[in-house]
Amino acid sequence: MAMYTQRSTLTQKVLGYGGLAVVLLIVLIPYGYIALTAFKPAEEIFDVRWLPRAWSLDAWRYAIEFEQFHVYIYNSMIAGLGAAVLALCVAVPGAYVFGRKQFRGKDVMFYIIVMALLFPFVLLVVPFTILWVKIGLYDTMPGLWLAYQVFIIPFAIWILRAYFAELPPFLEECAMVYGCTAFKAFWRVMLPLAKPIITSLMFLAFLVGWNDFLFSNMLTTGEGPRTASVIIYVSAVGGERVEWDVLMVMTLMAGIPPVLLYIVAQGQFLKTFAVRGH
Amino acid sequence: MAENIGIRVHNLRKTFQRGRVQACRNVNLRLAEGALMVLLGPSGCGKTTTLRCIAGLEQPDNDDAIWVKGRNITRLQPKDRNLAFVFQDTALFPHLSIRRNISFGLDMHKTYRRAERRRRVNEVAELLHVEDLLERKPHEVSGGQAQRVALGRAIVMEPDAFLLDEPLANLDAALRVEMRTEIKRIQKRLGISTIFVTHDQEEALSLGDVIAVMKDGEVQQVGTSHEIYHHPANFFVATFIGSPPLNCLPCHVQTDNGALNLASRAFQLPLEAAGVASSLRNQGEVMLGIRPELVAIAPERPDTVAARVSLIEPLGSRTIIILEAEGVELRAMVQGETSAREGEAVHLRLDLERAFFFDNAGNRL
Repeated sequence: MAMYTQRSTLTQKVLGYGGLAVVLLIVLIPYGYIALTAFKPAEEIFDVRWLPRAWSLDAWRYAIEFEQFHVYIYNSMIAGLGAAVLALCVAVPGAYVFGRKQFRGKDVMFYIIVMALLFPFVLLVVPFTILWVKIGLYDTMPGLWLAYQVFIIPFAIWILRAYFAELPPFLEECAMVYGCTAFKAFWRVMLPLAKPIITSLMFLAFLVGWNDFLFSNMLTTGEGPRTASVIIYVSAVGGERVEWDVLMVMTLMAGIPPVLLYIVAQGQFLKTFAVRGH
Repeated sequence: MAENIGIRVHNLRKTFQRGRVQACRNVNLRLAEGALMVLLGPSGCGKTTTLRCIAGLEQPDNDDAIWVKGRNITRLQPKDRNLAFVFQDTALFPHLSIRRNISFGLDMHKTYRRAERRRRVNEVAELLHVEDLLERKPHEVSGGQAQRVALGRAIVMEPDAFLLDEPLANLDAALRVEMRTEIKRIQKRLGISTIFVTHDQEEALSLGDVIAVMKDGEVQQVGTSHEIYHHPANFFVATFIGSPPLNCLPCHVQTDNGALNLASRAFQLPLEAAGVASSLRNQGEVMLGIRPELVAIAPERPDTVAARVSLIEPLGSRTIIILEAEGVELRAMVQGETSAREGEAVHLRLDLERAFFFDNAGNRL
């Protein structure tokens, strides 16, 4: 019996790690090729080989000095951060109220908000553009932040509401008996408890802004707060010839910040799934 | 006199859903300073709502409902009442250590210095035997320990009163009895007025200096354990208290040649001899309520009732005998063991002098 268990465990291990390795390779090979291509000189781009014959930083120099790509990275950063902060300012108190307070029309209001998630927001791009031009939000950073909320806020309220609702009952009342106002009970007890999931949502909201192409493409111009993803697209399709090495550099530059953020916030994400118990 | 009243609930009315649900209708309670009162009743009787009104977690309909130490606090915020509330669900803050949980109330009132807070938390932790747990998180302690911590969080405030809402309901039976004794001991030692809500009559009888029995949002009776058990005010109190439960027999009072008799399907008993006739004269249908310990197996006499033993439940120190007389079920309780056997025909003597009689409305006669 013991032998059987051991052998089975070994088989499971081999199969498990083998499977993971295949998945990992599928993901990593394109990224590896992107990373290496970014260091190839222009004339080597179409050579089918992994390592560049001569390592070159020309593409990097071109992307930053000529294309000013770091400016667009900065724009993406601000777009993502602003979207996340704005979303949480609205969604956290909103979700708290939906999750833990009773008031008339609560369910109906909640369903309307969640329904907004089902609406294909691609359809909103044109009306948004017209409206934004009219009210002066076109080609501005706040205009971008606001546009993203169509998707982020309903999603965040939906996720957070469930979290707040599942926290033990009586926590706020207990805090109120022991010296808190209703707001302080929320601030001192409920908010710290929701910190891990708020961090996760902030990351997701940031990614929405960071990765967005649709709104940024329609709501901004080349002179305005255009984000990196639009520039990558323009580089790939615009002009008579595609600078593949520069495109790879841009892809790398746009891909790395979220990874760094994820590594920094990882501990909090793990807690999101671990904080339970009595 | 007035200054000795710790907590006074005055004509408390509380309705929900714009008057459609009446949780409390005219609840009146007076609790002497330093005493322990138990609010006892079935679920939905308004006892928890009463407690939550006192704590300020619910707003009563009338403005002069809640008085603590002679001060009307009906419309104060919960945080300004200086009352400590212990919930059924311990409601410890999961993100704070046990120490921070206990000192939570002190931390919220900025009047206390750090050293003072520390000293008080340590004292309370020692009192409740949780001093080794102070640096742990709530999910790392057991249910009983968590409830101790919840008590500690209340005690450390040195409040005007403790309000405990079924604090032991989630504990297992043995722990519940242990904690019950401990709560009573601590309450006596601290001398802080306490209201304890429970639906468990044994808990109520053993804990309370006074017990208020509630039903349908109204107080039925307030009294000591002895008064509630031996002198119930009405049918509800009599049947709600007591284990095994009160024997209830519908009877009618008959006049036979000027002598009063109590008649039912199972028996006809003279009332004169039992000395309870005066209050029953002119009554027709009555409900006889008799505690199982007042029913005894006896030799046959004119005033005994023929019955058959249907079941015997030996409980060690006492035995419950379940009997059947003409289709009516009766319970008798005797100390120690019984010589009766299941199926045996016996005669019962009912101690009518100490039995209760109720009219159709459930009022005591």
